[in-house]
Amino acid sequence: RPHSRPRHPGVCTMLPLLLLLLPAAHGVVHLKYTPALTTEPPLEGVKTASTFAVDQPRCVFQNYGNAVIWLVVALDQAASTFNNTARPASPETAFQRFPNPVPAYMTLNTTLANYPCPSPEGDITVLRVGSETSCTQDERRPSCNGPLPGPGPYRVKFLALEDSVPVAETSWSQPITLRQAKSPNSISTAGSGHSAGMIAITTILSILFAILLAGLVAMLFFWGSDSCGSSSSFSKPESVTVRRYNPHHVYDQPAARL
Amino acid sequence: MAKSDDCVRILQGLLVFGNVVIGMCGIALTAECIYFVSNPHDLYPLLKATGNSDINAAAWIGIFVGLALFALSILGIIGVIKASRTLLTVYIILMLITFAFEMASCITAATHRDSLTPELLLKQMLEKYQKSANNSDNEVTKTWDEVMLQNHCCGVLGPSDWQEYTSAFRLTHSDADYPWPRRCCALDAQGLPINLDGCKLGVPGYYNSNGCYDAISGPVNKEAWGVAWFGFAILCWTFCVLLGTMFYWSGIDY
Repeated sequence: RPHSRPRHPGVCTMLPLLLLLLPAAHGVVHLKYTPALTTEPPLEGVKTASTFAVDQPRCVFQNYGNAVIWLVVALDQAASTFNNTARPASPETAFQRFPNPVPAYMTLNTTLANYPCPSPEGDITVLRVGSETSCTQDERRPSCNGPLPGPGPYRVKFLALEDSVPVAETSWSQPITLRQAKSPNSISTAGSGHSAGMIAITTILSILFAILLAGLVAMLFFWGSDSCGSSSSFSKPESVTVRRYNPHHVYDQPAARL
Repeated sequence: MAKSDDCVRILQGLLVFGNVVIGMCGIALTAECIYFVSNPHDLYPLLKATGNSDINAAAWIGIFVGLALFALSILGIIGVIKASRTLLTVYIILMLITFAFEMASCITAATHRDSLTPELLLKQMLEKYQKSANNSDNEVTKTWDEVMLQNHCCGVLGPSDWQEYTSAFRLTHSDADYPWPRRCCALDAQGLPINLDGCKLGVPGYYNSNGCYDAISGPVNKEAWGVAWFGFAILCWTFCVLLGTMFYWSGIDY
C-alpha cells in the first residue's frame, strides 16, 4: 500500500491533547475590576513619598476560593510587558531587586478569606503598599511589601494563582505617581508685608511727635516773651504774685497805697 | 479778670486730670509689660529660633516707659498747680523723650508681630525639629512637641508639611514608618497612638489634621497688640495733654 508520508505513532493522541491544553494556556480570566487609590474615606496619607493605599479587591475574586491573590506592582512602562506566568516569591519578582533589574514585583499575598464579601459597614478596607520596612534588604523575603524606591509612576493589578498557576487577573490601575518633597529652601520668607495696623501706628505717631517737637521749639524760641498769642495772660496764684514790685512807687506815694 | 480766672482754673483742672490719667495708664502699662515679661508663654524658644524675640524688648521698654510716665505725671501736676515755667519746661522735654521711647516700643512690637509669618515658622520647624544636634534645637523640638500635644495639631499648616518638604526629621525617620511625627497621632492616656496604622494612613479621627499656626500666633498676637495698641492709646492721650500744657505754659506770667 502506498503511504503519503510516515506518521508518528502518537500523533493521533497528540492532537486531542494539544486541543485540551490550548484553553488552559489562555485560561487567565480577565476580571472587570480596576484597582484604584482609596477615595472613601479621604485619607491624608493615601499617597506619601514612598507608600500608597489602594482599595482591597472585595467581591471581585468570588469564584476563586482556592486561589492566593497577589498584588503586582510594576513600573508604568513595564506594565504591558508583565508575564502572568512569572513565579511569585522568586528572584524574578523579588521586591529587593526592584526596579533594577526587576521591573515588577509581587507582594501582599493572601487568600480570599481576608477579603470577605460584602465588606462590613464602617470598615476601612485598604491595602497600604510600602508599609513593611523591616525586610527591605532581606533577600529571604522576596514578597516583602517594602517602601517604593522612587516617585514612580507605578501601576498595580491583582493576580489570583492556584498552585502557582494564574487563573484570574484584574486590569492594570491608572498610573500612580507618588509625592515628591521639595527642599525647605524653596520656602520664601521675604516680603511678609506690613499690616495696615502697623502702618497706621507708625504714621500717626510720627505726625504727633513732629507736632510736639514743633511746639517745643516754638516754646523755647519764645521763652521770656509775656504774651505770645493769648489775649489775656493769667496771673499766678497768690503766693507768688508779690514778685513784681516797684520800690520807687512805694517810697514816693506811701499814702496812695494805704 | 474773673472770667480768665475761671478759664485758668478750668485749664488747670483739665491738665491735672490729664496728668492723673497719664499716671494711672503708666502704672497699667508697667503692670501689663511686667506680666508679659515674667510670664513668657511657652512659645518663647520658637520665637527665639526665628530671631523674633524683639517682641520681648518692646515689653521691657514698656516697663520703664510706664514708670517714667507715672513720675512725670506727678511732676506735671506740681508744675501746673505752681504755674512754674521751669518745672513745666522740664516736664515737657522729659515727656517728649518718653514719648519717643514708647513710640519705638509700639512700632517694634507691631513690626515683629507682622514678621511672624507661617512661612517663617514652617522653615524653622523643618530645619530644626528633631535635629537633636545641640541644645537650642532640642528646645525647638520640645516646644513643638508640647504645642502639638496641647493643641491637637500637627505642623504649621497641617501634617502634609512633612510630606511636601524634606526636613531634618525626614533624615532620621523613614517616610513609610513616619509620614509625620508620632505627636501628630491621636494619643491615648499613656501617650501612645490609639491606632498607629490609622495615624500613618491619615484616617480622620486617628491623627491631628489641622496646623498649629493659629495656636502659636494667638498668644503672640495678644502680646504684640497689647503692647502696641495700648501704648498707642496712651501716646494719643499724652499728645493732647502735652499740647494743653504748652498752651498753658505760654500763658504763664513771668
